[in-house]
Amino acid sequence: MNNLNLTVSSSPHIRAKHSTASIMQHVLIALLPALAVAGYVFGVWALALVAICVVSCVATEAVIQRLCKKTVTINDWSAVVTGVLLGFNLPINAPWWLAVIGSVFAIGIVKQCFGGLGQNFMNPALAARAFLLASWPTHMTSTAYIPTYDTVTSATPLALLKTGDLGSMPSTLDLFTGLNGVYGCIGEISALALLIGGLYLIFKGIISWRIPTVYLLTIAVFALLVGQDPLVHLFSGGVMLGAFFMATDYASSPVTAKGQIIFALGCGLITMIIRIYGGYPEGCSYSILLMNVAAPLIDRFTKAKIYGDVKKKKEVQA
Amino acid sequence: MEKRKTQIDWKNVFKLGFILFVISAVAACCLAFTNYVTAGTIEKMDQETNKAARQEVLSEATDFEEIPAAELVKIRTEIGLENPDELVEAYQGKTGDDVIGYTVKTAPQSGYSGEVQVLTGISKEGLVQGVTILKHNETPGLGALATEPAFKDQYKDLSAAEKITVVKTAPASGSNSIQAITGATITSKAVTDGVNISNEVYLILSK
Amino acid sequence: MNFIKNMTRGLIKENPIFVLVLGMCPTLAVTTSASNGMGMGLATTAVLIGSNVAISALRKVIPASIRIPAFVVIIASFVTIIGMLMKAYLPALNASLGLFIPLIVVNCIILGRAEAFAFSNTIADSLADGLGMGLGFTMSLTILGSVREILGAGSIFGFSLFGASFEPVLLMILPPGAFITLGLLMGLINWNKKKA
Repeated sequence: MNNLNLTVSSSPHIRAKHSTASIMQHVLIALLPALAVAGYVFGVWALALVAICVVSCVATEAVIQRLCKKTVTINDWSAVVTGVLLGFNLPINAPWWLAVIGSVFAIGIVKQCFGGLGQNFMNPALAARAFLLASWPTHMTSTAYIPTYDTVTSATPLALLKTGDLGSMPSTLDLFTGLNGVYGCIGEISALALLIGGLYLIFKGIISWRIPTVYLLTIAVFALLVGQDPLVHLFSGGVMLGAFFMATDYASSPVTAKGQIIFALGCGLITMIIRIYGGYPEGCSYSILLMNVAAPLIDRFTKAKIYGDVKKKKEVQA
Repeated sequence: MEKRKTQIDWKNVFKLGFILFVISAVAACCLAFTNYVTAGTIEKMDQETNKAARQEVLSEATDFEEIPAAELVKIRTEIGLENPDELVEAYQGKTGDDVIGYTVKTAPQSGYSGEVQVLTGISKEGLVQGVTILKHNETPGLGALATEPAFKDQYKDLSAAEKITVVKTAPASGSNSIQAITGATITSKAVTDGVNISNEVYLILSK
Repeated sequence: MNFIKNMTRGLIKENPIFVLVLGMCPTLAVTTSASNGMGMGLATTAVLIGSNVAISALRKVIPASIRIPAFVVIIASFVTIIGMLMKAYLPALNASLGLFIPLIVVNCIILGRAEAFAFSNTIADSLADGLGMGLGFTMSLTILGSVREILGAGSIFGFSLFGASFEPVLLMILPPGAFITLGLLMGLINWNKKKA
């Protein structure tokens, strides 16, 4: 049952050596550096929030599968990954119930209502983030807290960029490592840690290099074209987390090589359009959600051309 | 009918047309009758709601006299309004024969979801007496909070002589500014735009 | 006997929202609160009864070939009349439903019942059908509106339920909330049916 669920029909994604559980375990390992940075910078509450998300996600999955008299598949680790990703998307000042409700929504509505693992039409963690953002904007908006006992708020770099307040902009190196200050949601602060995790996944063959590379490139090029610093755009907000861990979700991204490139290009464009011309400072999560919805269309559009292509064979071996 | 496309059955056409005509005519009569019965009530209701709104922002006035449209046109050019639609109407508030203030209806387009209709009452001493949002399309729970007294009442007793500004933290007393709604700075600014236009209109009218 | 059968059919077995899935535009757009849902439902019911009876009464007079334009004229007149009456005598409800009243004209339930039922049945039966379908529609809209209002505003029919410390799920009174609630309710109904 576990192994059956993950593969989408006629997918070039089939990798015989991995089971769902082992893939999910690799993803968790890849998320560890970012978690460590979060713990170091934000303190125990960050780890607690992530833990609350994980526990609620797993519990929701078990309860729903029990209720629907389906096999309980919590030992495939996928709910754990969703929980960690959702925790990474919360601001540090989020109350505990926000984490619980977000988890129930991610697993209950987005994943199980649509048929469970492999059937979700969107990335559950991102959909839950969008849900929380629309429902409790004051708890989820772009202010981040500096972890002293005073609750001093500071705007995220993207919000600064939007308001044109470049004087209080952190240095690019600080943005990259995330160690010297707090500039975003729990798991988004250190681009470096996420990059290490992402490269690990690519190296292990868990995710393809296409989506992250094209996504990041699109953002950099767009930033250059409108005359802004591409590094700031790459290292701030949810781009790194999105590129390596969210946009690459098997169930909600295209399966063909060409499709993945179109998908990633779309994500990058929408992210930058929202960031630069939209009402929100950050557009990463919405861009991926929008492209998630378009993924079946992209697949249909690219499928026929990929069939009989020589590249297809290489793809299977990769 | 379709088999003999070239021949039109005129008799049938007229018959069908006539039936439709009768149905439409009866329907039109019903509509005209309902309109006759309700039109007066609707207009009275509109006037009453408008008057109640004016009374809300300028509670001391008992009578309101509309500023003629021709004068509004002049005012629009005088304050250099880019979009003439942003100034909707203005009234003079009176008690007996004494002018005690003005109410101005504005429709700034700068809201998060477009137009926000703001009615402002200003006393003849040049202090904002009250602000109310007549129509808006802002996000519930965020921008829509602008209709709550907690936000609206901030404008009371601010000076109409200088521009009101929007700040993110609680403003210092006497600073002629209001605190934006958390997460809805755009809406807060739009409402303030409306009040500021009203203030300029007041400055011209009170001369 | 027949009257009751014709009426109850619209309530559950052929519920316009949850079973026939008709008239989705007002369903999704106006159910931001229980009273809005109920108001829209009752206004639609009034139009539905009126148009069903009128069309049934005229079914021998209206030739089949021009029935659709005739239906549209009749329905549009009823809607306009209801709209004017509401504006004059129920201004508060009119203010919150505003734009959606004229849209009753294009509600598929009304044209659907005219075509599927009233045009080929007696006046009494059509009245029963209109009443049943209308009440079924009202019931569904009120349920949807209640769920959304309770979760999204912490109140029902305007009465606050949980006190000031409750932080409502704003999303539920925004458009996505309508889709999520409708989907879940439909799912529950179908699940229930399957179990039975």
